[in-house]
Amino acid sequence: MDARLTNAWRMTVNEKKFIETALASDLRIDGRNPLEYRKITIKFGREDGSSEVQLGQTHVMGFVTSQLVQPYRDRPNEGSLSIFTEFSPMADPSFEPGRPGESAVELGRIIDRGLRESRAVDTESLCVLAGKLVWAIRIDLHILDNGGNLVDAANIAALVALLTFRRPECTLGGEDGQQVMVHPPEVKEPLPLIVHHLPIAVTFAFFNSEHTMVVDPTHNEEAVMGGRMTVTANTNGDICAIQKAGGEGVTQSDIMRCLRLASRNAESITKKINDAVETYNTERALRKIKRHSASVAVDVSISGGDVREPENKFFVHKGISELSRDQMERLNLVSEEKCTSQSSDINGGLSSSEQGRTSCQEGNATNFLGGPSSWDPYSKGVDSDSLKVSLASLGISAPDKHKRGEQKSTQAMEDKVPEDAKPATSATDTSRTGPQMSGEKTLKDAVKPKDKRRKRASSSMNAS
Amino acid sequence: MEDKPSSSPMSFVDQIVVPGDVVLDLSTMTNQTIKLGGGLRQDSDAISVMKAGKLRFSKPNKYWVESSQKRYVPCVGDSVLGIVVDSKAENFLVDIKGPALAFLPVLAFEGGTRRNIPKFEGGTLLYVRVVKANPGMNPELSCTDASGKAAEFGVLKDGYMFECSTGLSRMLLSSPTCPVLEALGNKLSFEIAVGLNGRVWVNATSPSTVIIVANAIMNSETLSGLQQKIMVDRLLQKIQT
Repeated sequence: MDARLTNAWRMTVNEKKFIETALASDLRIDGRNPLEYRKITIKFGREDGSSEVQLGQTHVMGFVTSQLVQPYRDRPNEGSLSIFTEFSPMADPSFEPGRPGESAVELGRIIDRGLRESRAVDTESLCVLAGKLVWAIRIDLHILDNGGNLVDAANIAALVALLTFRRPECTLGGEDGQQVMVHPPEVKEPLPLIVHHLPIAVTFAFFNSEHTMVVDPTHNEEAVMGGRMTVTANTNGDICAIQKAGGEGVTQSDIMRCLRLASRNAESITKKINDAVETYNTERALRKIKRHSASVAVDVSISGGDVREPENKFFVHKGISELSRDQMERLNLVSEEKCTSQSSDINGGLSSSEQGRTSCQEGNATNFLGGPSSWDPYSKGVDSDSLKVSLASLGISAPDKHKRGEQKSTQAMEDKVPEDAKPATSATDTSRTGPQMSGEKTLKDAVKPKDKRRKRASSSMNAS
Repeated sequence: MEDKPSSSPMSFVDQIVVPGDVVLDLSTMTNQTIKLGGGLRQDSDAISVMKAGKLRFSKPNKYWVESSQKRYVPCVGDSVLGIVVDSKAENFLVDIKGPALAFLPVLAFEGGTRRNIPKFEGGTLLYVRVVKANPGMNPELSCTDASGKAAEFGVLKDGYMFECSTGLSRMLLSSPTCPVLEALGNKLSFEIAVGLNGRVWVNATSPSTVIIVANAIMNSETLSGLQQKIMVDRLLQKIQT
């Protein structure tokens, strides 16, 4: 009891009075103007369907998972969508572990209504076997830090996670067509969900002093406000949902004003979401190319379309030149993190063919020469030269992956694994002309300007 | 720091120390009174460090360890900003961002008698001094200085309070004046009260001044002196235009 009393967050009367006085002159304590949103940052996790959204100080993570279940009796052809929220006690001293409190349930309901009532996610496409098996999509939202306006941030996290989620493909088989086979991602590319539109939640806070209203309240403003309203709108001009639970009364004209503001804000936020998801998809496509490098006739779908192998490379070449340096470096870091999990797949494919030739492997690569290399069925039957050529040409597509370390090591190089963006491409260049690397590349080389990379990419494409 | 002979205390002053370091050996220093501040502990003849941070020394004989964090560890003599939580018969319960609520005796005011006990409602902001701070016990506060005079302690009216880290509040109180306060003071007029527990109160005639000052101070946590000046100049320019 004592600890709870000590750790509770308290607001002084000075703060309360000041926030209201400042709002009377249209000033907010963080310097924003009353109708301005805080900075939105959207990040992705390692798996499909995981997102991390920061709205100023507010921090929310979203995860989407799917499961095959029996459908509801009254809707035998539709899948289901359910939302679970977790208000972590580390987000706010008033959050208790255990059963969700009132605000947690309200948040879940607002997001759920925005997605379900407006039919944003197409549930009929989630049906596998009518009346027997459908996909149930589950969205988990974890609140990590409460800096005010959890609803908006959680909504964005849910949308981003839904857009980047991929569900496994399943086919009907068996004698009577009733057997369902779920294909793992390595066999068949998982499919994205069909999302018709993006319902964006915009929260307004009302204060006791005459018609003062702000958009996107911070934690302090929420403690002082008299009432709040959340409007869920999309870019088509639809209002998907409105939530106003108690609090101060608001006039009709104010509500209309809020609806108009919400539509306007929805457009800019939708654009941010789409941009972020597109970056993610490009990066994912790059990863896809890498993963299937050692296997043959891959059904790689980029951004939902089926593309043949050479077209893949072309798309990826274009993708590379468009990627900014930041993304390259981010991919660097990402690749470093993933090297433990991914390299087993990738190295397995390569090392079995190149084991005989290489004596010095790079640090991370050495650890994974064991088990996984033995089960790759394709590399044994391919002769090492053509494999090297195909790898080299693919390698140019994603020069920042640590896998480059493998290729360089075939020339018996001594480069650091993460810094091989530049040396990798040069190494693959010289693989045609004969090894003559200096082995003295540093991080500076990895960060060479974009045009050089493009030049190398195109020159190597010519070479291959 | 690693290779210096450890017996001389001068070698550790202003250096980063970690828990377990022995910074003073009392057997070599006889007939000296040494005052130990926060973060230091005496184990018979050795003074060892309990908290990670920088070891500081002030003449003639005070040593302490300084580090920056969001929570505050009450220390005797500190001036802090407290928020009144509750009032009991004998004292007010005040929150000073420490591990326990602090007690402010109802008589600890200048000219305080049983007849004129002040009435503080919950949420009142006070500028107080820590009188007693023993580990495990609730700290004790007072609204007077050591000699019994009021000396600026008491209720802070109006203005705006925000929280920061203990390191930032120490920087704001350092002398010579911290660059961000100097740069702000050249152009704006405001009054400010800094608590060593990581709370800062700002007041000015117009709300926009208060907001500028508050945001400038919050941004200056990780900036060097020159960067702070530049930041303040840019902020003021943006407001002017």
